[in-house]
Amino acid sequence: MGAANGIEKMWEELVGLCNAQFISAPFKRLLSAKFTQARAQQYSIQMAYYVQNRRDCWGYVQGSAPFEIKKLIWQHEEDELIGQKAQGKVDHITLAVQEGEVFGLSAEAFERTARLEGGEVCFSAWIRLAQRSWLEAIAASAILEMRNSGELIEGGSLSQRIGAMFERDLNIPMKKQINNAEHVVMDVEHAHLLMQVARTYATTDSTRRAILRGAKESLMIDRVYRGHLADVVEALP
Amino acid sequence: MDLVSDLLKTLDQMVNDQFDSVEFKNFLAVPLTLERGRFYVIQNALYTSNRRDCWGYVQGGAPLEVKRVIWQHESDELINDPRAGMDHYALTVKQGEVIGLKPVDFSEAEIPSMVRACFYAWHHIAMHNHWLTAYTASHMLERRNNGKIVKGGGMSYRVGTKFENELGINLKKMISLDVHVVADTEHSENISEMFERYVKSAEDRDLVLKGARDSMAIDRAYRGALGYYMAQIN
Repeated sequence: MGAANGIEKMWEELVGLCNAQFISAPFKRLLSAKFTQARAQQYSIQMAYYVQNRRDCWGYVQGSAPFEIKKLIWQHEEDELIGQKAQGKVDHITLAVQEGEVFGLSAEAFERTARLEGGEVCFSAWIRLAQRSWLEAIAASAILEMRNSGELIEGGSLSQRIGAMFERDLNIPMKKQINNAEHVVMDVEHAHLLMQVARTYATTDSTRRAILRGAKESLMIDRVYRGHLADVVEALP
Repeated sequence: MDLVSDLLKTLDQMVNDQFDSVEFKNFLAVPLTLERGRFYVIQNALYTSNRRDCWGYVQGGAPLEVKRVIWQHESDELINDPRAGMDHYALTVKQGEVIGLKPVDFSEAEIPSMVRACFYAWHHIAMHNHWLTAYTASHMLERRNNGKIVKGGGMSYRVGTKFENELGINLKKMISLDVHVVADTEHSENISEMFERYVKSAEDRDLVLKGARDSMAIDRAYRGALGYYMAQIN
């Protein structure tokens, strides 16, 4: 198979895998929950930890990637870590804490609430993946943004679906969910990073297999993580 | 004296001691020829790439506030240093023109075996240690290049002076070495500030010292290897 065809086929498979997340049992369980304020608060705090773990993983990926890809990741991390000051946009951790206000959360609540035990295990697993060979590592991180791209996911990305649930259950309009709203937009853009990489580096069957391996393992962790989130949400009144 | 002041004094002593080591003395004593100068400049570009790897890993393991400091640090290195109008890898390649090197000489360069071992050792520290150890290991290489701390000048300054004295190439023309004389002074000061924030106990101090000791040992091995390879070039 030619490299161009191989890349297109790989891309289709990756998009298929992302869509399949939403028909997995853990995703279905999480997405069938009804959010109360307490549940939304816990979900919001745990997602801030998830965002921090993404920063850990992208750092490791930046470390092992070739120089030109390091630059792409550095730019990717500007939105996440620093924000776009010229556009009045704060970094995504600050954004998550600010969004917490609409659920009645203070900044201190984020600091004093522990990570889920199951979440901690998933975060360690993602870090371990991020320390693998760079193509596996970048696929493992980038696939989570593909899974959150409304352009690629039929029926809406995870951020869109959770945002719609907050709107339905708590009457909080999407535009007030500033973190969710930002990710609905940003992850459409960020989802293309893996294709940019693939065009230059996924030129052989083995490199494409490495990308698929990283993506599949990351999506497996993602399913486990969403299952833990569903557990904690269901356990709260 | 408080914990952090005492620690910083120790780190300063360690970077000064590097220049008294047999490996550093041998490296700096190898007379430069044009071919040896070319070898050094190419190797320096590979070293710069290894620094980018390691700082990425350190960013991955560090707390959020420290990640931001490293991200800013990497702006000069990866994207654009306003002092030079380009990133530091491009700067090293550009510097190569002065001694007749082409971009392909950099892109096709082999990493010699002893150097490769040092690069992997630095990767290991950056990826598989407590973040304070990893952070210090990378920081120490900039501290060792800080002319305000190292008596007689940091490594870039000393190598730049050798190019000037032995090959007649003015330091200002060795644009990467020249920029690093200033850049690493600033970088090491910005990065050093984090010790004030995060070193609160003897355990923290020991994590910092472990990173410093391990990185300085690799640095000596690395300079020893460069000196060895340069001496083989007639």
